[in-house]
Amino acid sequence: MTDGATDLTETETDTAIDTRVPVTVLTGFLGSGKTTLLNRILTEQHGLKIAVIENEFGEVGIDDALVLDAEEEIFEMNNGCICCTVRGDLIRILGALMRRRERFDRIVIETTGLADPAPVAQTFFMDDEIASQLRLDAIVTLVDAAHIRTHLDEVKPEGVENEAVEQIAFADRIVLNKTDLVDHQQLAEVIARIRSVNALADILPAQNAAVELPEILDVHAFDLDRVLEADPQFLTDTEHQHDTTVTSVGIDLEGELDEDQLNTWLGTLLREKGADIFRSKGILALEGAERQYVFQGVHMLLDGEMGRQWEAGEPRRNRLVFIGRNLDREELNAGFAACLTAIPAAVNA
Amino acid sequence: MSTVAALDVATAWETAVDDAPVAVHAVAGLVAVAGADGTCWVLDTTTGDIVATVTLPGGILAARLSPDGQHLALGGPFGHAVWSRTTNTTLISKTGAWSAAVRWGGTDKLAVASGRRALVLTPDGAQLWATDPAPSTVTDVAWLRENRRLATTAYNGVRCYERHSARPVTEYPYLGSHLALAIAPTGRWICSGNQDASIHIWRTRDGGDLTMHGYPDKIARLAFDDTGYWLASDGAPDITVWDFSGKGPEGTRPRTLRAHETITALAWRPGGAGVLASAGVEGTLALWRATGGRAGARLAPAHARDLDQPVTALAWAGPDLLVTADWEGRVQASRLPAALPR
Repeated sequence: MTDGATDLTETETDTAIDTRVPVTVLTGFLGSGKTTLLNRILTEQHGLKIAVIENEFGEVGIDDALVLDAEEEIFEMNNGCICCTVRGDLIRILGALMRRRERFDRIVIETTGLADPAPVAQTFFMDDEIASQLRLDAIVTLVDAAHIRTHLDEVKPEGVENEAVEQIAFADRIVLNKTDLVDHQQLAEVIARIRSVNALADILPAQNAAVELPEILDVHAFDLDRVLEADPQFLTDTEHQHDTTVTSVGIDLEGELDEDQLNTWLGTLLREKGADIFRSKGILALEGAERQYVFQGVHMLLDGEMGRQWEAGEPRRNRLVFIGRNLDREELNAGFAACLTAIPAAVNA
Repeated sequence: MSTVAALDVATAWETAVDDAPVAVHAVAGLVAVAGADGTCWVLDTTTGDIVATVTLPGGILAARLSPDGQHLALGGPFGHAVWSRTTNTTLISKTGAWSAAVRWGGTDKLAVASGRRALVLTPDGAQLWATDPAPSTVTDVAWLRENRRLATTAYNGVRCYERHSARPVTEYPYLGSHLALAIAPTGRWICSGNQDASIHIWRTRDGGDLTMHGYPDKIARLAFDDTGYWLASDGAPDITVWDFSGKGPEGTRPRTLRAHETITALAWRPGGAGVLASAGVEGTLALWRATGGRAGARLAPAHARDLDQPVTALAWAGPDLLVTADWEGRVQASRLPAALPR
């Protein structure tokens, strides 16, 4: 292939529609309503062909859907990164699904109530065969409004994760189910509590897991161009800090970034603190770049690329968020601010 | 780059099956073409005519004919099956367990990966013995020592079993998810392809091991030629071919074969003359003199053809007949001259 042809291919890819099959991950504790929601997804008249991978025996069994049972198999990767784990069962099953001639419009993975969402998400970063044909659309976490606080407050032995906290921290959408079982005051408290762990995810209050399916099925949460598309209000909202160790830290600073300094800072941060940083997302202004730099990460894994053009006169704003354990807001702010170039970016009004 | 005479390849026959093929195996005058949805077509090698169709409900992941062509073993997401040619009947075992590998040990016994165990069955499907559960689902199986010892791959290494012991008689440990297994016909080397984009190599005798890093992708396909001197694998757009003669590949550089974007199938021509067939997702079918040139050389195909659809599985039905099956279910047998020009 000539160089010219290669360029052409790249240009085409740039504007091409992503035809990869979207994958939705449903997490949540036993009794939070996962199976109810799954049945809703399968029975609603949407005309989509859906494959379901279940990690615990549920009562789903719909003629139009292929249901595959799987046992969670977490594999460490040999890359010297202790938090880099993938789900061997999913790699195996998704690989076999892709070899079928039958095309599915969507794949839904239902995890157990005790599952760690990180290996699930990392599977889509680490396996090229999967990444080339499937895209992780969103992690949707179901929460039982009446019981979630008990789960969140549960004290775990040293070194053992609180799965409820993790599942909320990793979520792109949180279905706050069974709101009929709590009063207004309790509901407000639960929402505040969820916000303190994950300031980025949309919270969808529901009864009987009745949510508008487009709200959870076409989220594009892992698409870089959708990262922080909506202005997240959390960046200035640091009011309700609870005594939880898992929090969100948002940074919003104007200016342009020194690329080398940023790489060093972000690289060191994720290498040293990656085990504690569950999710990270950002839109950044690199010095001299005409386009935004967008990134998204799960633990130590990071995926970044150039996003849309900065508009004329648009302030060069850097917005990023970290969700994780024992995050030091001051340190993150200071570390990031040190990556800004000394001279404030000129804004052509 | 040295010039090589192009191979003269003629089409022997063509047919079509109604599924996406995931495995092709040919032996004793038969070709098995297994479809992902669960039907396997058994064809006559000379004509391509259908001899039988065998079904495994829920899909097929692996298919192997017995060396005498009297039986066909199938593995799938929900269990396994054995077909008998004499009676044209199929014994289906709905174990609910994932069976991604089936391998005959001669004509009298069959190893089946079944969930976290491997089962050893008679050709009639009766269980002879079974291994203890491995730490994860078994991904591949292979026979050693005149088919007396069974090697399995799963998480954290290769484990070897014999009939007298459900526990491993030998273990070849290495952290990580092992996807494919290749054992040199000389019995000297055990190799596994890894999810972490490496090939792990053990000397069978003493377990001395080394790792070949540096691949961009996971290694899901690797195969020794009949001499046991050459190992071909995927894991990159270029196929790598390692030289296992003498003391093995440690400190050497592989030959690399460039024709594909992503490799979908590869198989050595039987007889050990260094000819390899391969296919890629871009639709190219290539034949290589894969052991030519010097160590570290990048080789060009001796024959390459662009097809309408990518070949998803291929197998040699003897040294002069290559059977390929593409994504749409087109099955083609290509005849090569018995003596290949050098």
